[in-house]
Amino acid sequence: MKRTFQTYVLFPSHTDGLALEKVLKSNNMKYTIVPTPRDLSKCCGISILINPDDTKQVEQLLKKHSDIKTEGIYTIEKKKRNWFG
Amino acid sequence: MADYRDLWKSLDMDLEKHDQLCAVLPEFYGDIYLSQENRPEGMNYYNFVVSEIHGLRIKELAEHKEKGGKVFGSFCVFVPDEIIFAADAIGVGLCGGSDFWIPDGEKVLPRNMCPLIKASVGAKLSGTCPYFQSADLLVGETTCDGKKKAWEILDEYTPIHVMDLPQMKREKDKIHWIDEIKIFKDKVEELTGNKITKEKLEEAIKLINKKRAVLQRLYNTRKAENLPISGKDALLITQIAFYDDPNRFIEKTTELCEELEARIEKGESVFKEGTKRILVTGTPMAIPNWKLHHLIETSGGAVVCEETCTGSRYFENLANEEAENIDEQIKGLANRYLGINCACFTPNEGRIDDIIRLYKEYKADGVIYYSLPFCHTYALEYKKVKEALDKEGIPVMMIESDYSLQDAGQIKTRLEAFFEMLDSSKNEKEVAATK
Repeated sequence: MKRTFQTYVLFPSHTDGLALEKVLKSNNMKYTIVPTPRDLSKCCGISILINPDDTKQVEQLLKKHSDIKTEGIYTIEKKKRNWFG
Repeated sequence: MADYRDLWKSLDMDLEKHDQLCAVLPEFYGDIYLSQENRPEGMNYYNFVVSEIHGLRIKELAEHKEKGGKVFGSFCVFVPDEIIFAADAIGVGLCGGSDFWIPDGEKVLPRNMCPLIKASVGAKLSGTCPYFQSADLLVGETTCDGKKKAWEILDEYTPIHVMDLPQMKREKDKIHWIDEIKIFKDKVEELTGNKITKEKLEEAIKLINKKRAVLQRLYNTRKAENLPISGKDALLITQIAFYDDPNRFIEKTTELCEELEARIEKGESVFKEGTKRILVTGTPMAIPNWKLHHLIETSGGAVVCEETCTGSRYFENLANEEAENIDEQIKGLANRYLGINCACFTPNEGRIDDIIRLYKEYKADGVIYYSLPFCHTYALEYKKVKEALDKEGIPVMMIESDYSLQDAGQIKTRLEAFFEMLDSSKNEKEVAATK
């Protein structure tokens, strides 16, 4: 089976997440707000899932908008569990 | 990440156990919801609300309480939110859709009890639901025997007020329900220390009506031939409507509706052509009970409407906004709420009419009658519903299932057979029409 990877941007609070969302939206970038995966943080709350290929571009946008705080950008392998058998 | 542990601690929660509950959500939600293709962008807001389900909203409730505000938790679409919001309090629907809470519920309840009741009581007893912990008062109702008795047990752990919902819809029952709403109003005023004036109530009626109207607008988009949104997503939105801030919910759902209406114009669909359109009717599905919708929508079907409490029963019919005084306003509310066709009523022919009407409105191909185990009223009502649907030539199948995942394979097999049958019955109808 093909391995797939996903890239998450983590935030100290949801307001930073929503601020980045606005920036991504205005730059016509694809993103999804998601619950933070357990592998990355034990606290519940939002992260933003981006295409791994867009990581550089997101980093640049974050540099430009230095008021948006993050707790890093992480790429992990997508796990697939068959919940319903 | 935002750290909510201090907040949870202040709510007297069992942090260790709560952590086990939180651990499952990202993956479960991800596999069920984020695996969908071509999801509307507007769903990001609901992803956000789910991600912050025990975070931001709980913080908002805590801030409201710090300012002296009160929080009311309820379990049922008959509890009039208008009265709660008119007293500057916040009403939230309570948890009860996960298997996680069942063992704790079974410590005080019999095993042969519906999972919704067991999970709700278990959520309180385990100290893992911050909504239960935030509520100053729980509002129960007498919609079934199981709940009625459960309130007596729950009362040992948390304050509860029970509204006596009549089980018939005669004139004297309406008078009784008006009285119950008045008693509830007194209770809310007493607890909040705020007087519910005609103006305040009018404002609240308009707000809750607006929420209902936007849900109806969302559901209207599901009548389109090309479905712009999955049933799974629509169910999630209705579930969130019960507990998120109403103004934010209205604003964001309006935005989503605009996106969906644009999709309809372009003929964009989230399903393949030929996917069977299914009307789901029956018992409510509390968060995170997404099981049936997920199974339907991964077996060749699309849910186009829910005739349930987490569906059309929650938002159909608006309350009268034009009343001249409080008495009339309460009468208007009583009318609106007694218009809900819950299976607790006898007789309940209105529900059969609703199912047939919604089947046609949403151009469904078939009906799935969903019932939680041990939900006597809904299980018993199936006979009457099936007879009426048979007479109309509407295909229907009953599925009874709890929150566990063990029977998923079996349900999937039955669904696939049902959808296949819908295909052949459609073909037969077409052949008959050309003869």
